[in-house]
Amino acid sequence: MSAKAKHSGWWTLFFTLVCLLWVFPIVLVGINSFKDKVYITHDAFSLPLGDMFAGLDNYRKGIEQTNFFASFGWTVVVTVGSVALILLCTSMCAWWIVRVNNRTAKSLYLVFLFNMIVPFQMVMFTLSKMADIIGLNTPWGLWIIYLGFGSGLPVFIFTGVVKGIPQELEESAMIDGASVPRTFFEIVVPIMKPSIVSVAILEAMGIWNDFLLPYLTLDLRKYRTISIAVQYLKGGYGTVDMGAMMGCLVMAIIPIVIFYVICQKYIISGVLAGAVKG
Amino acid sequence: MISMAGKTISRWWALFVLPTFVAFVIGFVIPFILGIWLSLCRFTTIAEANFIGTKNYAAAISDPEFWHALWYTALFTVVTTVIVNVCAFAIASLLTKAIRGANLFRSIFFMPNLIGGIVLGYIWMLLLNGVLQHWGKSITFSGTYGFWGMVLLMCWQQIGYMMIIYIAGLQTLPGDVIEAASVDGASGAQTLFHITIPLMMPSITVCTFLSITNGFKMFDQNLALTNGAPSNSSELVALNIYRTFYGRAGFEGAGQAKAVIFFVIVALVAILQNRLTARKEVTA
Amino acid sequence: MNTVRKTTAVIAAAVLTMGVLSGCGGTGSSSSSQGRVYYMNQKGENNEQFVQLGKLFTKDTGIPFDITTASPGNYGQTLKSELAKTNAPTLIGLDNNDFPNWVDYCDDLSGTRMYKDLQNRDYVLKDGDTVKAIPFVLDRYGIIYNRAILKKYFAADWASIHSEQEVRGFDALKKMVEEIQAHKSDLGIKGAFTSAGFEASSRPRYGDMLPHIPVFYEYRDQNTTVIPSKVSGKYVPNLKKIFDLMIKNETVAPTQLSGATLDDAISEFALGDAAFIEMGSWAYPQLRGKKVSDKDMGVFPLYMGIPGEENSGLTISSNYFAINSKASQKDKDATKKFLDWMLDNDGARKIVTDTMGFETPFKSYAKAGFKTKNPILRANDVYAKRNCYDLVIRPLPTAQWALTMADAMLEYAQGTGPWSKVESSFVDGWTSEYNTVHKS
Repeated sequence: MSAKAKHSGWWTLFFTLVCLLWVFPIVLVGINSFKDKVYITHDAFSLPLGDMFAGLDNYRKGIEQTNFFASFGWTVVVTVGSVALILLCTSMCAWWIVRVNNRTAKSLYLVFLFNMIVPFQMVMFTLSKMADIIGLNTPWGLWIIYLGFGSGLPVFIFTGVVKGIPQELEESAMIDGASVPRTFFEIVVPIMKPSIVSVAILEAMGIWNDFLLPYLTLDLRKYRTISIAVQYLKGGYGTVDMGAMMGCLVMAIIPIVIFYVICQKYIISGVLAGAVKG
Repeated sequence: MISMAGKTISRWWALFVLPTFVAFVIGFVIPFILGIWLSLCRFTTIAEANFIGTKNYAAAISDPEFWHALWYTALFTVVTTVIVNVCAFAIASLLTKAIRGANLFRSIFFMPNLIGGIVLGYIWMLLLNGVLQHWGKSITFSGTYGFWGMVLLMCWQQIGYMMIIYIAGLQTLPGDVIEAASVDGASGAQTLFHITIPLMMPSITVCTFLSITNGFKMFDQNLALTNGAPSNSSELVALNIYRTFYGRAGFEGAGQAKAVIFFVIVALVAILQNRLTARKEVTA
Repeated sequence: MNTVRKTTAVIAAAVLTMGVLSGCGGTGSSSSSQGRVYYMNQKGENNEQFVQLGKLFTKDTGIPFDITTASPGNYGQTLKSELAKTNAPTLIGLDNNDFPNWVDYCDDLSGTRMYKDLQNRDYVLKDGDTVKAIPFVLDRYGIIYNRAILKKYFAADWASIHSEQEVRGFDALKKMVEEIQAHKSDLGIKGAFTSAGFEASSRPRYGDMLPHIPVFYEYRDQNTTVIPSKVSGKYVPNLKKIFDLMIKNETVAPTQLSGATLDDAISEFALGDAAFIEMGSWAYPQLRGKKVSDKDMGVFPLYMGIPGEENSGLTISSNYFAINSKASQKDKDATKKFLDWMLDNDGARKIVTDTMGFETPFKSYAKAGFKTKNPILRANDVYAKRNCYDLVIRPLPTAQWALTMADAMLEYAQGTGPWSKVESSFVDGWTSEYNTVHKS
């Protein structure tokens, strides 16, 4: 034990150094966000002092050029709505599949499994075209798109969870006269709660950061998510303003870090839930 | 046996299954079938598609840049899978030991994973171009630079994620077996290779295939960091498909055909994984 | 369990509202009785001003005006995905490189007032005899120089050129550039040319703008204005001359060019760190009001050692309006109304001429006395007075041709590829791209 304790100090030092290195890219972006754009490409590592210091200029430009707060709002709308809808619908669907368990249910399950292995590029054009035709090119339309294209994984996770729940409780509730929806919401959902939280986190991480699906699907004149706004800074206006870019990157990272600090425990359980996917 | 309850529940399909199913049909089934159909057509929109057989596939296969992207992606996937998993496993096994601050370290390692691919790409563009500046180069100097740039980015993003899975796996290891081994005089390396790693196989398989899929499907980071430059030499296959499809008129069919080929490859990898995991479960 | 039920109720309500909302959104935008204008804009640097123009138009006429802007690097991608949508663009910005790709989407414009208002109808883009796209701006480009730096150079005792008038061809240009580069610290600059960046925003300056000069002479030799199926590559060595001059006498090492942006180059010029930048009149909004005053901005033609080039003026390029042939009649009418309004309305003419700094090819603008003060456009007056001919940008086979050229030129510049690749991109690339577009 004493040998271990002696080493422990060195390991702490080692990991402290590695972790400093680990956060360095983010710190670097933070530093450069206060630098005049002229110096960002050529002097990435110097501190924003003297001539280089640009104050909050980059943030102002970033917000103006991308309409950042609107993008933030739309990202929230898309993420919260999609996650809520996915949780509600897929948990119900998964429970039905497991409990009914006839041929229809089984084949339905297989189709959902199949969905998990299809890369987005396969449907990128047809899906976005369809979303456009039936008017789903809005943030709330994306709720349905995400539910549709992304239902495989949550159905898969939830069926796994439901299989582990003993049926007796539900049966006795139904014998006592509870309706099926009531049984589901009052008996099954509370038991599934931990996995619902995990799936919520997992889906939220994916949808918040998604780029290509909203980019191809949304009506970009009206709605842009954060990822789209950042990418537009690079590709949209002929020139690239690295200053505004740095400002936007920082503003994109801050909410994520806050969210992480608050929900760390759930995030890690979400990762583990997602690990079954493979 | 289908229970009585099962029968009652099945009558509620309209509430429980229909919403998901309808969305699934709109968001997946129809686009998927149309996608396969369109790969056999010359088209600009869905309405104006003319069947031309397998010409699109011929065009896709005869595109040297597609082959380059495929090999580049395969190599990228192998390299990142190895580096990410070795590092993640090493960090996980160290951080499960009694080290002061282990929890904080874990949190920090994991954090990059929450940042979206586009944002990640630009963070690393700044960092890598800043470093390469000293040698008068930039990340888009050649496909090789882009390759290692993306490998670094991928490691930074994924190591924390895999580490979490490995830590969870390590924590469920039976401590008595490892203790017994060290009592029997097994060296650290022996314990690692003959006891820990075999017992960790489920986690290792999961992580390996997660990294493989992530590597194969990587798009956002590639788009933001290099966008294929120079001369499309740093282009992964997902970006190649996107560029073929949206890059210019007249190549939609070839792009869609590439997408189908890509899908087949990803599906094969997934089936392979399924086989392997299933076999492991039998022996375990 | 109350919370669960409440949550469910809220979500259900949200889902219902969503349906209602999306329904409303759909009808709201398409029920406008006057149609709508949706402009797909290729001139990224003018995005803000077009938004401003659109607002004024909506205020005057009540017709909604929408705009999406995309830069050269992904213009085709964006245009295509937008054209595939139900609310597709009604007005399309085009250049003549990629015109053949979009010709099916271009309506016949021969009956429009804008066509009849053109001072010179030769520059319109046609499919056979049908007028498909009308130029709305005449841009000029060449080698923009900082006159203040040149004056310092002309006055130096080591200088072998002593006035702007002496620079009438590649040899004088080369001598001047090399001497300036050699004495850059004496002149207080970082390099003669700004960085020849190949990042997507800057790449068209080399893969597209520069090769247009040899292409112009190819068309002249073949005595045509219609795109030929083959080019000889006779002037590719001249392209090499000017490109070598630019990459050997610039502010950064050629190995860094792949990441250098247009913004980098423009800042270098605007801050007085370099004497020359290969650029055009559309950059004026970004150059004005910085360290280089308007009267210090001059422009040399892109000399590259081609016989007779001493009589050439600045390169002239255009951006074109086309009306989406697949738009509804109502939307087409609204779009035509927008074009007419742009010709007649003083507010519009003021934005176009002064804020955007456009030289317009329209009689109505000339008649009303709207003439831009953009110094990069006015720089051509010197050459016009000398009766120089315009270097007109002739159609390239595809935008892809220019991208491939840029890739090959970048590799040559950083030393990772041979010049022969540029040659073959120019000659063989032309044939294969021509065949790709013209195969039936």
